[in-house]
Amino acid sequence: MKPQVAFFDFTSCEGCQLNKLNFENDLLDILKHVDIVEFREAMDDKADHYDIAFIEGSITSPSCVERIHDIRRRSDILVALGSCAVNGGVNAMKNLHPIDEVRETVYGDDKYLFATLPAMAVSSVVKVDYEVRGCPMTQQDFLKLLIALVLGKQPPKYGSPVCVECKLKENECLYNRGMVCLGPITRGGCDAVCPSFGQFCTGCRGILDNPNIDGMLEVMTSHGISLDEAKKRMLLYNSNEVQL
Amino acid sequence: MECFSLLRSDVPALIDHLRDFGEVIAPHGKGDVSYSFEVVRDSSDVVLDYNRTLLPLKKMFLPPVEKLMGFSLKNESFEQVEVAIAPRVFFGVHSYEMQSILRLDHSMLSGSAESNYFKRRQSSRFLGISFEPDEFHFSESVGIVIEEMEGFDLFLNEVDGDFQLYVLTDNGQEMLNGFDKINLTEPEIVEGRHFKKKIRYHYNRLPRVFQYAYHSDVWADVASRCVGCGACTLTCPTCFCFDVHDHVEVTAEDGMRQRSWDSCMLSTFAEVAGGENFREKTINRTRHRLFRKFKYITDEEGLPWCVGCGRCTAFCPAGISMPDIVNELIQEDEKAQYHRTVRV
Ligand code: SF4
Ligand code: SF4
Repeated sequence: MKPQVAFFDFTSCEGCQLNKLNFENDLLDILKHVDIVEFREAMDDKADHYDIAFIEGSITSPSCVERIHDIRRRSDILVALGSCAVNGGVNAMKNLHPIDEVRETVYGDDKYLFATLPAMAVSSVVKVDYEVRGCPMTQQDFLKLLIALVLGKQPPKYGSPVCVECKLKENECLYNRGMVCLGPITRGGCDAVCPSFGQFCTGCRGILDNPNIDGMLEVMTSHGISLDEAKKRMLLYNSNEVQL
Repeated sequence: MECFSLLRSDVPALIDHLRDFGEVIAPHGKGDVSYSFEVVRDSSDVVLDYNRTLLPLKKMFLPPVEKLMGFSLKNESFEQVEVAIAPRVFFGVHSYEMQSILRLDHSMLSGSAESNYFKRRQSSRFLGISFEPDEFHFSESVGIVIEEMEGFDLFLNEVDGDFQLYVLTDNGQEMLNGFDKINLTEPEIVEGRHFKKKIRYHYNRLPRVFQYAYHSDVWADVASRCVGCGACTLTCPTCFCFDVHDHVEVTAEDGMRQRSWDSCMLSTFAEVAGGENFREKTINRTRHRLFRKFKYITDEEGLPWCVGCGRCTAFCPAGISMPDIVNELIQEDEKAQYHRTVRV
């Protein structure tokens, strides 16, 4: 029997899920390998058990916590999809402010009607087996993981910085063009897509393990931006990962 | 050794002439301020004055990413990629770059030869060119002068804006047959091209300095500034480490095995099964990189495995300088020696 897979979204822009619907060329091949049993963006169905559950979005409220526990119970393999699910993503910027202030800004006087939690990675609440990083995650990356799971292999892990792929493509480094790029400490696997098109890396795939944060801030400020700006850039996607 | 004069304005004609001997590969402008070796489409695009290319010429023999074989899971079969031997002319190569190819030859061809490298290396011809060292070149300190002609078939030495063309091999001679824009001349020595960056000791004293450098404080200082991007090793012309990956297509039936350049500066490089990592800290890795250039291979071959191109320094976002590290080690060694002597 083909593996039963499902997709769920939590706090996110749903961009990752939409990215999957753009698979046009590969969709038929994918459906040869798996049965999609739940996918709010494209259908509505509900099953008791999933071989693979894909989770998009971060966990930001008590009801999210309840729901993710329920999905985890019904899933053999659980995969976090995209930056929000993997580490909290841009949502986690709210964690840099007192939670009451955040609620008041968003809901005003009605703030007591809406329970909220700091924006968390899915892995902060339940066990996550695999992850697909990026904002949004890329189709290639998702497909690599899916094929590996279908074949019963370990999906690729990315432990090298974006600079590696950037260098292998012989791009002119954006630091030589007067830009400040987060490539050196950002987890690769994106084929250095942004720098290749002249856009500096904003760190959407998360920070590498054991980064040299002070060294990176020094690199950034010595290339012309203020310490404050450098920290803001680093936090954009990684408020939950970097302590500044 | 014959020497001819050649006008700068006639260089494109020479390039066009050389195309009879195969694909010509030469430096081209890239991005705002950079250069890269590319196949020549139009000889007037070739850049004669350049500091260094982003990636070394190595990329033409050991490609950054290379398919090694295709396989089919369905048929349980595989097919190795056969590299074709095609004549190529490498034009406008600096002396340190040529020296790096000779060192790579040693790394890739001694013992059991790496067959893809070997085939790409076959029927290559090289035309060298002199250069004006910038603030990063230091090849003289590792024994390579601007006019070092070893390995070249032809060499263009710039004299007062035009060139003197040296014929160094029979292949070089053959490549000039039928090219009439050159005139026999007397070789001239060019004065006034100087290396701005230097290592303070002759390179044959460096293995001794490195013998005592393993526990130096210099490594911690370098590691505190290093952000671990791998630029130094990925752009180095004498580094040759690679990784091998399998990719399966979305059909889950066909796939391929690829190899791509790897770097000992990356934290994952020395990670082995079970999660153990035998060079876990940046300090271990920065040290290892320099020991690979000035100690481990040098002890066996008697030559530094750095050619002084300056790429690792010029392309380091943190501004870490290879020759500065070596000079700091020298200074530290001098101090230690002084203390040892005084105590006696
Ligand atoms: S452009 Fe960014 S990713 Fe590319 S090499 Fe430079 S710092 Fe690294
Ligand atoms: S170690 Fe640095 S200077 Fe030496 S050959 Fe490698 S990149 Fe060039």
